[in-house]
Amino acid sequence: MLIDTSAYIGAWPFGHLPARSAAELGRHLRSHGIARALVSHLGAVFAPDPMPANRTLFAETRRRPALVPVPILNPALAVWSEHLDECCRLAPALRAVRIAPGYHDFQLDSLRVSALCAALQERRVRLIVNVRFVDLRLDYFALKIQSAGESALHDFLRAHPRLQPLLSGLTLAELRTLQRLGGRFVADIPFVEWLYSIESLVAQGAQTRLMFGSQTPFFVTQANIAKLESALIPASARHAIGWRNAARFFSLPGA
Amino acid sequence: MRVIDLHTHPIFLRAGRRRADVDRLVAESRARGVVRMVVLGDVLVHGRTPDAGQIARINDETARVVRMHPDFFLGFCYLNPLLGARAVEREVERCVAGYDFRGLKLELANNALHPSMTPVMRLAARLSLPVLQHTWRTRPGPERRQQSDPEDTVALARRFPGVQVIMAHLTACGYRGVLEAKGVDNLVIDTSAAFPEAEILEYAVAQLGAERVVYGSDLPIREPAVTLGRVLGSRLTAAERRLILHDNAQRLLRLSPPC
Repeated sequence: MLIDTSAYIGAWPFGHLPARSAAELGRHLRSHGIARALVSHLGAVFAPDPMPANRTLFAETRRRPALVPVPILNPALAVWSEHLDECCRLAPALRAVRIAPGYHDFQLDSLRVSALCAALQERRVRLIVNVRFVDLRLDYFALKIQSAGESALHDFLRAHPRLQPLLSGLTLAELRTLQRLGGRFVADIPFVEWLYSIESLVAQGAQTRLMFGSQTPFFVTQANIAKLESALIPASARHAIGWRNAARFFSLPGA
Repeated sequence: MRVIDLHTHPIFLRAGRRRADVDRLVAESRARGVVRMVVLGDVLVHGRTPDAGQIARINDETARVVRMHPDFFLGFCYLNPLLGARAVEREVERCVAGYDFRGLKLELANNALHPSMTPVMRLAARLSLPVLQHTWRTRPGPERRQQSDPEDTVALARRFPGVQVIMAHLTACGYRGVLEAKGVDNLVIDTSAAFPEAEILEYAVAQLGAERVVYGSDLPIREPAVTLGRVLGSRLTAAERRLILHDNAQRLLRLSPPC
């Protein structure tokens, strides 16, 4: 069993990636043995207002319990709290909200991000911070997007010691740096790569903070499944990373 | 499933040198179906432009790894073309005659269009050695002096049609790199490096044919399970996968079947 913490519907404007509907994504993930997925709509990343894409996400996932909708909010917008209210109305059991610094015009140390963090903690909704969606070295040549750096992430974790966000898209080097610096966070694995990466992280006790993510549709879904399945780690660690940590962290019923 | 991994660095920045590390790599690779692995050397340990002594030490290290499992590893001779024709020729002859190296590896010393490449390619033609050129899409500017854009590597292959060129890093070459390679029959693209981006492998096969794509992992920078997973998880036929994972490299390296 696998719970996928990084899967997306909708279109990405760069590259020839599959632009799946929720139904298509559900079928695709099921065919790879992924029982449940936290899903966001890529249309919310580049649109000036993320809510049309978020509404589509909620509508398409409403009758698909395997797909857990995670709206993408933009705290740079003056109406972010209204957007959060609407998301909570559309999905009363909202598990998480995703933000994308670098893609949206805000810094992690902004007042609005702090207010969003407080609002999420009050509502017991988890925060996912997308450090990157793609390998930014290979992004469309005219884009100048920069990932949230290790230092900004560390400052963010220090500023919100009780938040414990999921940092999505960390590289192995970034993950190790943030581990060393301390701070409460969990992380997904799609961009964690080096020979024996999962094995070495588990040896350092990181299995409690790692979660499986396929990064579908950006990555070949099978690739990150193979990364986890092939790692020479105890079965308990494989289960923790594969689904148990995510089930617990996001309080997913029935998982 | 039989796999030939055409792009590896078992020793990278001095890590992985111990016999136990190499033995483990071989055992686990074999368990995944890898039957042969090309060792390209610890190419960045002395920076981008190593001197002749450093080049020789890197190639000696490659030879040491190959000797540990000669039925599994094949060595490529790492070169810095900027050292000049005589130094290049001396090193290639030393490595081919002494170590039975099967190809040449070029990294980041110079762009593929630099004049220093001419003697390298003539040597490759004379000795029938494939040339693996590090390639990464690169905008015009200072970086391009050392790093080859797909446009540069393809131009090199066009200039020397008698030399088999392996353009490294499919994902980093991108869609533009795939299109550059159309119609250049002496050039194949390896699947090494970068994250397992969806659809680009299928695109390369659709544009170039499965005969023009070869599997490479770029380990240890990449996880072999991931790099294999991207091929096995792609929408390709079993025959196309077999070509990419094994048959094309077998032909290119002139290995007798079954290897």
